[in-house]
Amino acid sequence: MGFEGLLQGFALALTPINLLFGLIGAVLGTAVGVLPGLGPAATISILLPLSYSLGSPLTSLIMMSGIYYGAMYGGSTTSILLNIPGEAASVVTCIDGYKMAKQGRAGPALGIAAIGSFIAGTVGIIGLTFVAPPLSAFALRFGPAEYCSLTVVGLMLAAFLSGKSILKGVLMAVLGLLLATVGLDPVSGSMRFTLGTTVLQDGVDFLTLAMGVFGIGEIFINMEEKMKNELVTDKVKHLWPTMADWVASRWAIIRGSLIGFFVGLLPGGGAVISSLLAYAVEKKVADHPEEFGEGAIQGVAGPESANNAAASASFIPMMTLGIPGNPAIAMIYAALLIQGVQPGPFLITDHPDVFWGVIASMYIGNALLLILNLPLVGMWVQMLKVPYSILAPTVVMICSIGVYTMKNNATDVVLMMLFGVLGYLLRKFHFELGPLLLAFVLGGILERSLSQALLISNGSFAVFYTKPISAALLGFALLLALAPLLVRLFGKTRSDSNLSG
Amino acid sequence: MQKEERIAAAVLFILGAWSAYEAYGPIGFGSFQSPGPGFFPFWLALLLAIISGCYFIAASTKASDALWGPGAWRRPVLAGAVILAYALCFDTLGFVLSTALLFFAWLRLIEKESLKKSIGVSLVGTFGAYALFTLLLDVGLPSGFWR
Repeated sequence: MGFEGLLQGFALALTPINLLFGLIGAVLGTAVGVLPGLGPAATISILLPLSYSLGSPLTSLIMMSGIYYGAMYGGSTTSILLNIPGEAASVVTCIDGYKMAKQGRAGPALGIAAIGSFIAGTVGIIGLTFVAPPLSAFALRFGPAEYCSLTVVGLMLAAFLSGKSILKGVLMAVLGLLLATVGLDPVSGSMRFTLGTTVLQDGVDFLTLAMGVFGIGEIFINMEEKMKNELVTDKVKHLWPTMADWVASRWAIIRGSLIGFFVGLLPGGGAVISSLLAYAVEKKVADHPEEFGEGAIQGVAGPESANNAAASASFIPMMTLGIPGNPAIAMIYAALLIQGVQPGPFLITDHPDVFWGVIASMYIGNALLLILNLPLVGMWVQMLKVPYSILAPTVVMICSIGVYTMKNNATDVVLMMLFGVLGYLLRKFHFELGPLLLAFVLGGILERSLSQALLISNGSFAVFYTKPISAALLGFALLLALAPLLVRLFGKTRSDSNLSG
Repeated sequence: MQKEERIAAAVLFILGAWSAYEAYGPIGFGSFQSPGPGFFPFWLALLLAIISGCYFIAASTKASDALWGPGAWRRPVLAGAVILAYALCFDTLGFVLSTALLFFAWLRLIEKESLKKSIGVSLVGTFGAYALFTLLLDVGLPSGFWR
């Protein structure tokens, strides 16, 4: 079924319309990655209304996937040439990439980033091809109790991995879940937290929330300081790395690919953490760690490979378990739901065309990105000259059009702006928005599975800890919740024994 | 930021406490055997209140940096005012006029660009968007009082 399915997927992905939207997604994604101040999550949220109008869930998923992994490619250009990360996962690329550019080696830095991204992206997709089907088959054993526990683990991981403070991460997850309950309860038909207004009767719309907190909120943050686009160079030469560059970065690419793949599987993990981890590992294993920060090519190859492998791997929990791992994937998840496709273990059996079509399109898209990116680097460099003073009102306008066209209701535009203010304030207080959005998307599943599990067990919570899979998942969630306490305790004991020794 | 963090924690605590009250009472908690529409939100709200309480305590004991640097709040506040005005005018003034004003206000008031550049970018941006969304993609956008 696997190989046959993949072949069918290629047949679907290679149809002119899917190929075209795959290409549009990849190019748009690269553009977004290149432009500082506009991340993949914000762009997917801006383009969600367009994806609805495409009609076919496969075509819209192909386009959105292209945006997502295209952004991972594009982010490195801005980091290397401007010393500003194009998107969050390219933060560490600034360190050595920018130094290389200042030394006149912008070409090899961009080249190794693109080639490393291609190799790692392909490794991630091969992993997706082989891991997703058995994981889907395993997830078919899940009942309401297992789903409830799995969602709790997913949210705990998202809260745990997304920022410095677990307390703030959990707080955001709970707030996201609570926001998801606003509006008409689908089971009883009762209104919840509508404040007596008709505006909230249909609940908080995902798109309004996502565009507000990500799209508009990001603008407020970027407005604090006037952005200056000062390019190191606008003529990039010698993109193909030398033999010495290859030798220096080959293991970094392999290590980055593996780190990215495994970290990308975790909810809340993904591209940002994997790139930071890959950089730390490269520095640790390097023969000359002192070269890191001074223009070491491994410092570009490792993180850039890791974030692309993670981007591919993060599709696995969404497509097999129905648990989106990061905000961008949560938006793709929401778009599929709206198109009547439920991501999860039944995706491979109920919608094999979507499942295999997307995987096949990722192979094609990844190759397209490499073919497009190296020759088009001059165009991306020109794009970096677009001032933020023009980009910001353009984003406001596109967000407003997107939200307005959903229901032809201008109140939603006002609501989106208010969510933008909320997103800005939450960021100012160092709250991570990832857990908020993930929880908002997963709120429905969690409530439904909790209610079903309690109804089946006649109100007994034993159903959660007597079933082995559910018990194991909850045990893991508990371990995560207690982790800070254990680390503190363990750390204290160790330092005490060190002192006495 | 200690004071601001405590205020944020207090706001979240009040939100949690009010939501818990609403979920348990008016919305309807139900029972463990047969959960009502307020069952799930009640536990969430309670959790929100408890975690906000912990956050309040943590914020009171830990020193942190100022929320905004000197004058760093000015541009976001100005941007917020322009965006809010745009959202409020979107329906009444229509897409074309409100978008032209958005670009103009952004460039002139926030970015302090020259009058010539502000008008030029506003006109090009607005009519470019109108051509793309209305004429090419046939997106239904408000025409305001011109209709």
